[in-house]
Amino acid sequence: MHHLLQHRPAFYVLGPALGLIVLGLAATINERFGVLGGFSNVVERATGRTRTLGWRAWLLLGLLLGGLLHRLLSGAPTVHHGFGWLTRTFGSGSVLVGMFLLLAGGLIGYGAKTAGGCTSGNGLGGCSAGSTASFAATATFMVTAIGLSFLIRGLT
Amino acid sequence: MRVRAAACLLGIAFGFMISWGQFSDPERIRQMLLLEDPYMYLMMGSSIAVAMLGLRVLRARRARALITGAPVTIATQRPERRHFVGAAIFGVGWAIADSCPGPIAAQLSQGVAWSAFTAAGVLCGVWLYLRRQDRLSLTQSRLRRRGPASGSHRPTAAPSVPAASGTPRVSAAEDLDRDLGDLRRGAADPHPAGL
Repeated sequence: MHHLLQHRPAFYVLGPALGLIVLGLAATINERFGVLGGFSNVVERATGRTRTLGWRAWLLLGLLLGGLLHRLLSGAPTVHHGFGWLTRTFGSGSVLVGMFLLLAGGLIGYGAKTAGGCTSGNGLGGCSAGSTASFAATATFMVTAIGLSFLIRGLT
Repeated sequence: MRVRAAACLLGIAFGFMISWGQFSDPERIRQMLLLEDPYMYLMMGSSIAVAMLGLRVLRARRARALITGAPVTIATQRPERRHFVGAAIFGVGWAIADSCPGPIAAQLSQGVAWSAFTAAGVLCGVWLYLRRQDRLSLTQSRLRRRGPASGSHRPTAAPSVPAASGTPRVSAAEDLDRDLGDLRRGAADPHPAGL
């Protein structure tokens, strides 16, 4: 079991499985899949904008549990050494890594709220619904992230 | 409650699957963004294809959602400026952290300490967005209530509704209280939820 879960399945297994989850949300509660909505729901509740945590927060809770379940069954976290290019560049104990991640998280939260979805909300949920806004947003964040990744590689 | 249970179960499946697919490993996302590994693109493409096909079938059969009973219709939108601007901002954050909201949550529960910074950042980013929306709504509602401005600096884009004659003017403090009350009831966000 450990061995099986530590190696990613073929894309034609995982992709359709995730597609079925997106479809499952529409088929059961008629909602578009998206993870950032859970984070947003938590902030809205914490700041008194809403009185209850809705399905989006529960989806996020499930996601947390799913990550934990995989961690327990596979026997190892999916992040093995440090945290990608940031710890390779600045060292694993650097304050800069935390600052970069905090800044990146802020851009992710603000940007995805502005765009009406993140990788899952626009990329999976919106595109599968055929929303042209989601196709435009997905193309934009892919091009931006690919361009910046090459720039970071060139600079580091 | 059944709605929340369904969302939670689907979330568990999603969190497990993206962890298995190593979406939560920043090195994998880096390989994807440096175009060194087609796996993530193939995975996303096949995922969208399956969900799109399934949604088309459900709509063609005029299916109703199993729990809520509503006809299955996911709203679509036409691209606006905010979709491009927001997605570009998101793309910058994604390339720096090599993580997006789903994987960030999976990293958190797997005990990856660095993800606490990214998650805190996401919450702050969302809060900043909501605060900005609050302020925009506040300004718009004040302009609406005030009616056409007498000065020459009236913003042309702002909606202006002439105040009814004889309507008593309220104080600025009452104005603010009422607006904040509206906001607290969640009436302000023009793009609620849908993420």
